Amino acid sequence: MPLQPSARDHDSALALYLLLMSDTSPTPALVRTPARGPARLLLDLFSSVPFGISLMALLFVYMSLGSAGVLYWTSDGWTHAQMRQWRPFELTEFEWFHWWPFDLLLLLLATNLAITTVRRIPFKPVNFGVWTIHSGILILLAGSWIYFGTKVEGDALVARRRLVAEVLTTAPNGTTTVAHRSEVVVSPGQKLSIGDGDRRYQLEVQSIDPEWSMQSDEFKGTLAYAVNVLVRRDAPDSTSFMRQLLAGHPEHTEDVIFSGDAAQPMKRAKKELGTAIIDPALRLSLTYEPQQWFYLRTELSKCWALYVRDAKKNGLNENPWVERTITGLPLYNDYIGDRSLVFQDPSEQPLPLDPIDVTVNATDPANDPFPDLAFRVTGFLRYATMRSRFVPGSAQSPLNPVARMLVTGPDGQRGSYQLVALDPRSNKADEGVLQFRYVANEAAFAALTRKPTLRFVIPSLGIDVREPISSVALSNRDVPFKPLPVPAATPDAATKGYAYRVITMQDDLAFASGASSVAVVEITTPTGAYRRWVFADPALTRDVTEELLKDPRAPKVIGDPSIDVIYEPGHGLALVCLVAGPQPEQLRLISAIADEPTVSDVSLNKPITLLGGLSAAVTEYEPRAVAELKPFVVPRQQRERDAGTQFAHILLEVPGVGAQWVKFHSYVFDEPSDVLRRFPFDPSTVRLADGREVEVLFSRQRLSLPSPVALDSFELTTHIGGYTGETGSIRDYTSLVRFDADGTWSEQTPVSMNKPVEYGGLSYFQSQWDPPDQARFEGDRASLGLNYTVLGVANRHGVWVMLFGCCVAVAGMIYAFYLKPVIKRRQREAVYASVAAAATARASSPAKVLS
Amino acid sequence: MIARTLTLALLFIALLVLAIGMTSASAAAQDDTGPGTPSDFASRVDLATLGRIAVHGEGRLKSFGSHANAMMDVVSGPRKIAGQEPAFTYLDMMLRPDAYVDADVIYVKNRAVREDIAVALEAAAARRPAMGADLSERLAAFGETGLLSPRLLRDPVLQPVYRALEADLIKTAKQIDAIKSALAVMDARFLLSRLRIVPPSGGDFDRPWHRIDEVMFVPGAVAEPSSFVLLAERTAGVPDIDQTVQATIADAWRQLVHSWTAGDADGVNAAASTLSAALPTVAPSIYPDQNRLGWEQWYFAKDQLTRTWLIYMASVIFLLLSLVYRWRPALWTGIGVFTIAFAFHTFALLLRWYISGRWPNSNMFEAVTTSAWFGGCGAVIIELLVRRTPMRGLFFLGSAATSMVALMSAHFLPVYLNPNIGNMMPVLHDVWLYIHTNVIIFSYVLIFMAAVSAACYLVWRATVGGPAHARAGGAGALLLANVDARARTGGGVVNRLAAVSIGEVLDGVTMVLMELSFVMLWAGIVMGAIWADHSWGRPWGWDPKEVFALNTFVIFLMLVHVRLKVVDKGLWTAILAVIGAGVMLFNWIVINFVITGLHSYA
Repeated sequence: MPLQPSARDHDSALALYLLLMSDTSPTPALVRTPARGPARLLLDLFSSVPFGISLMALLFVYMSLGSAGVLYWTSDGWTHAQMRQWRPFELTEFEWFHWWPFDLLLLLLATNLAITTVRRIPFKPVNFGVWTIHSGILILLAGSWIYFGTKVEGDALVARRRLVAEVLTTAPNGTTTVAHRSEVVVSPGQKLSIGDGDRRYQLEVQSIDPEWSMQSDEFKGTLAYAVNVLVRRDAPDSTSFMRQLLAGHPEHTEDVIFSGDAAQPMKRAKKELGTAIIDPALRLSLTYEPQQWFYLRTELSKCWALYVRDAKKNGLNENPWVERTITGLPLYNDYIGDRSLVFQDPSEQPLPLDPIDVTVNATDPANDPFPDLAFRVTGFLRYATMRSRFVPGSAQSPLNPVARMLVTGPDGQRGSYQLVALDPRSNKADEGVLQFRYVANEAAFAALTRKPTLRFVIPSLGIDVREPISSVALSNRDVPFKPLPVPAATPDAATKGYAYRVITMQDDLAFASGASSVAVVEITTPTGAYRRWVFADPALTRDVTEELLKDPRAPKVIGDPSIDVIYEPGHGLALVCLVAGPQPEQLRLISAIADEPTVSDVSLNKPITLLGGLSAAVTEYEPRAVAELKPFVVPRQQRERDAGTQFAHILLEVPGVGAQWVKFHSYVFDEPSDVLRRFPFDPSTVRLADGREVEVLFSRQRLSLPSPVALDSFELTTHIGGYTGETGSIRDYTSLVRFDADGTWSEQTPVSMNKPVEYGGLSYFQSQWDPPDQARFEGDRASLGLNYTVLGVANRHGVWVMLFGCCVAVAGMIYAFYLKPVIKRRQREAVYASVAAAATARASSPAKVLS
Repeated sequence: MIARTLTLALLFIALLVLAIGMTSASAAAQDDTGPGTPSDFASRVDLATLGRIAVHGEGRLKSFGSHANAMMDVVSGPRKIAGQEPAFTYLDMMLRPDAYVDADVIYVKNRAVREDIAVALEAAAARRPAMGADLSERLAAFGETGLLSPRLLRDPVLQPVYRALEADLIKTAKQIDAIKSALAVMDARFLLSRLRIVPPSGGDFDRPWHRIDEVMFVPGAVAEPSSFVLLAERTAGVPDIDQTVQATIADAWRQLVHSWTAGDADGVNAAASTLSAALPTVAPSIYPDQNRLGWEQWYFAKDQLTRTWLIYMASVIFLLLSLVYRWRPALWTGIGVFTIAFAFHTFALLLRWYISGRWPNSNMFEAVTTSAWFGGCGAVIIELLVRRTPMRGLFFLGSAATSMVALMSAHFLPVYLNPNIGNMMPVLHDVWLYIHTNVIIFSYVLIFMAAVSAACYLVWRATVGGPAHARAGGAGALLLANVDARARTGGGVVNRLAAVSIGEVLDGVTMVLMELSFVMLWAGIVMGAIWADHSWGRPWGWDPKEVFALNTFVIFLMLVHVRLKVVDKGLWTAILAVIGAGVMLFNWIVINFVITGLHSYA
């Protein structure tokens, strides 16, 4: 029979329902005493849910400000700024979230949470969920306190191999001893000199193939790390050769010689000469390059350090660097006390004057070579590059004409160029079309007004002729050879076969010994065809040979000495040549655009019309300019986003001596021979008042690794089609490392993305790699990469406590949201059942109801 | 009743305005300028066959259709040139480059940059009348569409403009980079060099594929088009591929080029068939499945099926009708339409999974569409549980509205939600990433759905309703509703829609979704921390994305506790649920595009 409760029963059911609902709210059953002391008030405050909600709201605001920053309206429109980076704060994200206001907020919240839970949430099954969530959060907070309180995080740069060079001497009795030993890290272009006398070698890491497929039968197809070292011996009779070393396969070291055969320029010495090693007195080998330090990360928190050591002149500095911690240095903004210390972009707001004064004392006086020397840091620049600028000098300053020229094209395009007459590297613009010269006398000026000319002298035929250069073949391979312009009287037969063409010209090539201009000329003579570098200084003229291209110091060769060619540069390639002198203030302009050069006098800011709608004006001129070297503060919008602190500089003051700008280094190398590609090493030397010299380097704090780590190999895993230079083709990066376990190397251990390795209490992560790279400047070598790795290094105390807290909280949430309703449903069904039972009972005995 | 009608009318108008706005935006995006309308030739070229050819690039093998999509995206951004498919434009640009020299095909995204360019060109035109009589018209159109021709963009007068804009790395350097990339990419030689369509012989997985120009000079029956020598260095072919196969490929390619330049669509189609049949024979073992390539081509040709948003919108309209009028046919129609939309959505997701070979959740496009799909799944499951309660249909409504917004964003904002398929970054290859991102995006979609019901609640409160909230919020509502209702009605017919107010129902829906997202968000954050711990070296780095995920959670913590204390629980829950969704969207949009990429102002 269906239950039919009365309307009255329905009301009582609702009353019960409301009562049951109320247990999600804090119990109102607190006994309140009329007089409450401050302790009691505080306790009540910390038992208050609204107080907790307010703390959460504050937390939300604090976190948002620290993370997203602020957006505000200025005359330029909406501006976004990271508040934590402002001058009063100078905090990284990590520091903002470990700053005392945040810690205090969390402490208050934790206290509030604990007290409210204990005082206001009855510990009974329906509330188990809330209790569990709250406990989980408290455990998490405790875990975070352990974790972040002990957090250490940094990175270690580990090179793959070190090249060890030894020069052996053999005694008459046949015993060999190592006479010289020297080492260098393996990186493209690294150089090394070793030995003495005619056993002095110049070594250079010519190329590295990280994935060389081995040829020997035993290891056919195995990939090895191959290092090719160019060996030159300082002896007149010696020839250069290449030595190939394979990491892990010292028995396969062999020499490769230059064959002179165009089809196969390099040949294996083993095949050609029957010996794998052509110079056994030079022993080369590869060893690991273990790293024993890791450097703390500036992205996490400020960890500046100054490294000092005794400077040693002329030779390797074997003094160890001693670290001095710098505390109190900013991170994001520029701090200077005097604007004349820096250069700024004129369109930028001048830097505010906001000096700092941070003393850098010896952190470890026992090991510090200058324990009593206190440095001071009085300036900081977040992002600057050292630049040299010219400023007017005094009347006594040496002659150094510097001009700024503005060239306007027919289309209104403008180009502005700063030219330094006496510096061959910066006296040209637009590939030499625009030049600036200084002449000491009128004769030199007259020479400049002439066209570049070649003078041909054939003494046997009595020929001595000049011909202006009218075209060069550089961009046009089809320029025909021209016969020599010989006097009509010369017999045809005798000159037959002499012809020439000009490939290119180069003015003022800089050498160690000075500068000279050169024309590259191809000549045919009765004996053959030659390519000749014809210099203005005939002593330098030589023919181009294979040897010369390999080694610029190869002996001079003149293939056919019957003809002399001399280059008279005139104005060279320049179509527009600004000339200063002989009077320092005198400026003239030679325009060679038309067939006949024209000369005009120049005064400042007066444009001179050239041919074809071009015009040129000198906007600045200083005959006795002085170069000033200062950091240039790079405008904010021109800063590379990912540069980090790479371009930071500090102004380091040595008491009683003066101040100098010192630039930031990511890593502290001991020697130039330890330096890897992409990392700078440029320590500064400071001379103290007492004459001693200190070498200083500005970098990050470092900690020693519990076990030095070596990079055995580095592997790139790719998607289909192999590595194509596109990042999308890479699937994973793996460093195969070994740890130094008390003198023996551990097993090879792979560290790859998402697969860190724990060793000696620290975790090692794959962090950066060495990608292939083109030559970056003249004289640089291209790199196939994979010569080093950067490992992240971190500890992780308290992680398990944090994880446990999180899991407890999850369990609590599931209980509170999905089990509690089941419990309540049962309770409520029981209540309804009892109400129904009571109703039934009432129906059967109405008297009771009336009573 | 009047108030109810008013509510509905308001919602309806809002939707209509949105829809009209979006379709007109879509029309603007489709009616692109370019060199004329698709020609007869363009419409007769069989792009399906061409599109099925596999191209190697970025470590992936993709269909030519999808490769062309990615490359043309660099040139024309979201615009289609003359209504042509990107695959057509790619080949046309490469084989008839002259037709594009002065065609307005390069897309400049930033309006301020467009203006700088237009001003400089206008000034130059004043000095040089030869620049073209229609220049001011074109520049006006450029201001709107962002499309300009390579000839104009290469004009020397723009060099100083570019230099000035390039100097600002934060705001404009990227825009100039984009213009330069577009100019470089539309070079015929470049386009040809990216056609790595010949597989390496022997089926070696690790060897790069060969460019067509490595093969196209191999002698065969078809004469060499004169343009070949301008396009690439002459080579003798690939040494280790069978010469006859190479000759077949080369012939087909030469035939295609001849026919293309002659405007002979049948010839192109015949050559394309021969080519697409010959290429796999070089290395059948690694050549991708023709079906997969066909589907990839189809998927991109159909705009990744993002037009499904229209079906979702229809479903939203019916479900709103059902909510306001409690009109049963509208409910069933709404659910039916939702089912169709969800089926399309599921199909698109599965297809993308099949094409890319991985679960789609590694870029913004995938995160948004997959997240919306999770919402659909969640809605289906919850609806099964609440089918006997007044809440039925409302989860479908939340999910339909969410998916509509998500797919609309994917459809109309391809600049932000780039649909092209790429490989995942190495750091993302991890099981925890899969779990973490999926759980997080699931929680995000629930948060958005909760905001939909909260917004409906707020509209109801603003128009007809008074203070009302679900007596037992959240999952409790599901479990307890029957008990209470049975008690209230004496065990008779339960779940009468009229038994409770709309406000109560909506608040209940919000709470169900909020509770679920609360747990999932927390769990997702914890899983992210586990992943970060072994990937980055610390479980928590106070990265803005992390902080704002936590901030979203803090809002929900406040919601739970505020609900305990206030009297008007329904109102505060709705307000905080909307704020929570706002913080979540802030994390997704502002943090992704502005804060972490402070240099990507658009």
